[in-house]
Amino acid sequence: MSHVIPRRTFLKGMGTLMGLPLLEAMMPLSALASSPKLRTTRMAFLFVPNGMSMPQWTPGSEGVGFALPQVLEPLRPLQGEFSILTGLSQRNAFALGDGPGDHARSAAAWLTGVHPKKTAGADIKAAISADQVAAVKMGHLTPFASIEIGCERGAEAGNCDSGYSCAYSSNISWRGEATPMAKEINPRLVFERLFGKGDKNESIESRLMRTRYNHSVLDFVMEDASRLRTQLGDRDQKKLDEYFTAVREIEERLSKFDRATANVGAGGTRIPSGVPHDYSDHIRLMGDMMILAFQADLTRVATFMFANEGSNRSYPTVGVPEGHHDMSHHGTDADKLKKKAIIDQFHVAQLSYILQKMHAIKEPEGSLLDNSMVVYGGGIGDGDRHNHDDLPILMAGRGSGTVHQGVHAVYPNGTPLNNLFLSMLDRMGVPTESLGDSTGKIQHLF
Amino acid sequence: MGSGGLVAAALVAPTAFQKPKTVKPVPSPSFAGSVAPVVKKYCVSCHAGGGAPAGVDLSNFPDGASVLKARELWSRVSQNVSSGHMPPDGAPAPTKAQREGMVRWLDLTLVGDCKLQDPGHVTMRRLNRREYDNTVRDLIGMDLNLSEDFPSDDVGYGFDNIGDVLSISPLLMEKYLKAAEQVATKVIEVPDNRPMHFDAENLKLTQGVSISEQGQVYFFSEGKATVEKYLTMGGTYRFKVEAYGEQAGPDPAKLAILIDGKPVQVFEVKATVAHPAVYETSLEVDPGKHEIGMTFTNDYYRPGPPPQDRNLVVKYLDVYKPAAKATAASEAQKRIVFASPVGADWNTPAKLVLARFAKRAFRRPPTDDELSRLVKIVDYVRKDGQPYEKCIQLCVQAILSSPQFLFRVERADTSASLNSYELASRLSYFLWSSMPDDELMALAGSGQLQKTETLKAEVKRMLQDPRAGSLADNFGEEWLNLRKLALINPDPAQFPDFDEHLRSAMMTETKMFFNGIVKNDRSIIDFLDAKYTYVNGPLAKHYGMTGVDGDEFRKVSLEGTPRAGVLTQASVLTLTSNPTRTSPVKRGKWVLEQILNTPPPPPPPNVAALPDDGKQVAAASLRAKMELHRKDPACATCHKKMDPLGFSLENFDATGGWRSKDGNTPIDASGVLPDGTKFQGAAELTGLLMKKKADFVRSLSEKLLTYSIGRGVESYDRCAVDAIAKTCESTGYRFSSLVTAVVTSDPFRKKRPVGGKSK
Repeated sequence: MSHVIPRRTFLKGMGTLMGLPLLEAMMPLSALASSPKLRTTRMAFLFVPNGMSMPQWTPGSEGVGFALPQVLEPLRPLQGEFSILTGLSQRNAFALGDGPGDHARSAAAWLTGVHPKKTAGADIKAAISADQVAAVKMGHLTPFASIEIGCERGAEAGNCDSGYSCAYSSNISWRGEATPMAKEINPRLVFERLFGKGDKNESIESRLMRTRYNHSVLDFVMEDASRLRTQLGDRDQKKLDEYFTAVREIEERLSKFDRATANVGAGGTRIPSGVPHDYSDHIRLMGDMMILAFQADLTRVATFMFANEGSNRSYPTVGVPEGHHDMSHHGTDADKLKKKAIIDQFHVAQLSYILQKMHAIKEPEGSLLDNSMVVYGGGIGDGDRHNHDDLPILMAGRGSGTVHQGVHAVYPNGTPLNNLFLSMLDRMGVPTESLGDSTGKIQHLF
Repeated sequence: MGSGGLVAAALVAPTAFQKPKTVKPVPSPSFAGSVAPVVKKYCVSCHAGGGAPAGVDLSNFPDGASVLKARELWSRVSQNVSSGHMPPDGAPAPTKAQREGMVRWLDLTLVGDCKLQDPGHVTMRRLNRREYDNTVRDLIGMDLNLSEDFPSDDVGYGFDNIGDVLSISPLLMEKYLKAAEQVATKVIEVPDNRPMHFDAENLKLTQGVSISEQGQVYFFSEGKATVEKYLTMGGTYRFKVEAYGEQAGPDPAKLAILIDGKPVQVFEVKATVAHPAVYETSLEVDPGKHEIGMTFTNDYYRPGPPPQDRNLVVKYLDVYKPAAKATAASEAQKRIVFASPVGADWNTPAKLVLARFAKRAFRRPPTDDELSRLVKIVDYVRKDGQPYEKCIQLCVQAILSSPQFLFRVERADTSASLNSYELASRLSYFLWSSMPDDELMALAGSGQLQKTETLKAEVKRMLQDPRAGSLADNFGEEWLNLRKLALINPDPAQFPDFDEHLRSAMMTETKMFFNGIVKNDRSIIDFLDAKYTYVNGPLAKHYGMTGVDGDEFRKVSLEGTPRAGVLTQASVLTLTSNPTRTSPVKRGKWVLEQILNTPPPPPPPNVAALPDDGKQVAAASLRAKMELHRKDPACATCHKKMDPLGFSLENFDATGGWRSKDGNTPIDASGVLPDGTKFQGAAELTGLLMKKKADFVRSLSEKLLTYSIGRGVESYDRCAVDAIAKTCESTGYRFSSLVTAVVTSDPFRKKRPVGGKSK
């Protein structure tokens, strides 16, 4: 089975990219991808901020055959392919004596299940997130251990949330307790990172030489770093360790590319040109990038923040010129409730685009969606109350035939969301004993 | 953002510790005598347990030692009690003497002796995006703006240069490596002396030409061998052909060089198979796409016996590019690669070049070990047969990828002072967001920089340098929250005049205003009450001013207008508004947080915010709704402080335009502070803030110190902040005096020694 994406399929898949300048670069996706096993399972976490209009999200009946509430309406074409999981909670996102700051706390807790340390700067501390547990264990199988994408830069303006560092509200993926995984928000840069810039004038010979020289640069800096380490205090050593980890990961990838580059040959592909102005285009294009990375087996783990937690973006294209965060504090005002639901539905429509596309991509066995587990939701239930129990959680994809779909599963409220992650990690082939506040694994879907 | 816990400022009640240094413990207060009873009687009825307001639980502090374990918390307590903010209105309150006794004990306990203060530890800072770009610019003399592709820097304590939150993810590391390669290849061009090489493999052969068994181009009759090539440069190209003839007949074999089908040079190829020869010529070629080729022009054949057959054999054609012209990049290159090998010894010139470059990049002289490891790279690349420049290029790439470049390293040792180079970097990144220049490095090298007088002189010099504009770009933008302006989208239906031009004009106004204070060394009180600003045509129109046209900004007087200082600038008024209406709460909060550094705690969850239904809310009804809101005791304490400040700015709409009426209702811009002070309009707000001048100075001191050292200000920094504010006040509030006071303070110049013992 060849994993070069036929040009036609590729273009069809890249619908939103039509009209962008054609890159003359020639590079089949297989050049970068290690040859995938017959059936590989991928996992993705898609995040939306500011809680959910829970009454318009939660289905009225349990089990199979539930009617679609308003917010989920855009998922109609996918009925049976996804489930709603009610009652899951991230109790470590609650104040627990730390006072306000629910936005930042809930984003940091969403995939980690720990109570992030309240600090505006000094000693940020969360813990490894579910996606990174998989990335660390399976990263060697693909050129990229994981990808982190989003649509909003980390806040660069003023304070973030009530004494919490912005690192918490703009990252959901954490490699270690003090290392959030920065995300890429420009689709062009994601593309170039995944598929290379494809300098057509560069010969294989000079590319290999460049790789060899880059190795010597890395050798030099790693030695620099080791020597520097002995001259630093504990806290600075921790900072330097981030550097070590990052360089090692890149070194590993360079070795993989060494092998891959030999195959560079003919083919054709398009690249996105930048960040689209339209928000819906932006989300979809980033989704396309994630799908491409999965399809070409460049990575099997992805996190995607549609927006940062606490985002006050306005949605004029769907008739909401006000800010999302402002609307989420609805105070039961009918108009705000309505607008919050419109925003929630807008996000779900983008989710639907991504899932439908994954569903349409056929793999040797089943579709790409069948071979994935996609979790969608956030760490706040009601945006006004800032509760972190009864979270809005949706899961799609059959985990290569190991997951049932099409159910509204209701768990006792307070069931740790991390229990879901443990069940997912099992299906990824990286069984994990415990993570954050997990107490076990979950039933119904698995 | 943390409350910092330092400022004894608020709009009510006199502060109990204006001058903590002179406070004498007479009579000596104690925890049991002055604190415990007050806390028990007036605080813990609310502030106890997990759900305590603002997360402040005071129920579990049996003694002084337990207080010391929660310094930041108690610092806030001290601040709120001294300002009269707590206990809230209506609740039973301690007497003035009780307040002062409690605050004095807390003050002495938490701050202690100013002479023994801990200078704190600054976590190693990596360069943030702007610092990276500026540093590369000053290092190589080319502005490449590579950080645009980097992920965002996280913000802590309101600024994006805080060591603790500046982390390195694999993604960012990748960007750093790529950027280092880009910088190195942009600034150091490797002379490419290798020719374009054509042979049987890559030439297109017509009829009459074939490939010989030896893989050579074999002209058995008058065919052509050609190739299409795009030449980026015009000029003199050198053509070199190695060939021989299978001679026959009266003449030697003839070979013509073809450009675009025309023969431009003919060689008589007298050489034979035993001794092939090289034929050379130079030809002028225009840039663009060309067909380059060869042909055999005098085929000859006589059937024998023996047969006479003349053929031409070409082994290869090499085409050499013309020499490159001087460019800006080559100037930058000359500055870096100032020494080149004359003989076989590459290491001596390479060492000179790398020592200088590494010193500037690492912001300190490189060690012998670092240099010898760089020279190893030179050897490695040289063995590949690469030119000298390629060796230097790769070393530059390595230096720019090193943690020594990416981080601002301050070594841990037993000294209580930063070394001179570390101090030079602190200074340059504070004032320029970039690396030290040659002068600073020289002063660091000689140790002069450690002298207070030298430091002061450097501050003066550096503030007048154009690079000091980065203070407005970084400190100014973050302090005043200006980066939020880019994210605000006023409702086009209500504010049709708001467009991107106006948005950028608003930004420019405030940045120029800030820069003007820096450049002209104005009083920092200008931020509060300056009766001047900078406008261009569109902004003047927005302000209702006449006589200013065009896109050029100029300084204008605000005398006779209701505007003064930053608070009435359209940037600040817009970024503190909602898209559809003004927000007196956000404006009030901005004043408390940005100007006075007394941020109110965030609202408790579960509280309904004001409806914002997108419809125009009449200002009068908004006020009524907010007053209703304030009836709720959970909200009242803070909103009583915030709202009146915001209400006084109600004459400015959500984009900072002036309005005297809202619909048909006149604007009510009056407010009453918790202590009963009544005031009205922006001018009286300014007057009120002027009375709080000392608090503003302290607030700005704390923010500037935070920015300059890249860590949050802690309770042990209180003495330093006091001293900075005091110095600034006693030297006429000049901007330079504030900066000088920061730079000469202990937290800026000193560090926490390892092991606690000083040498």
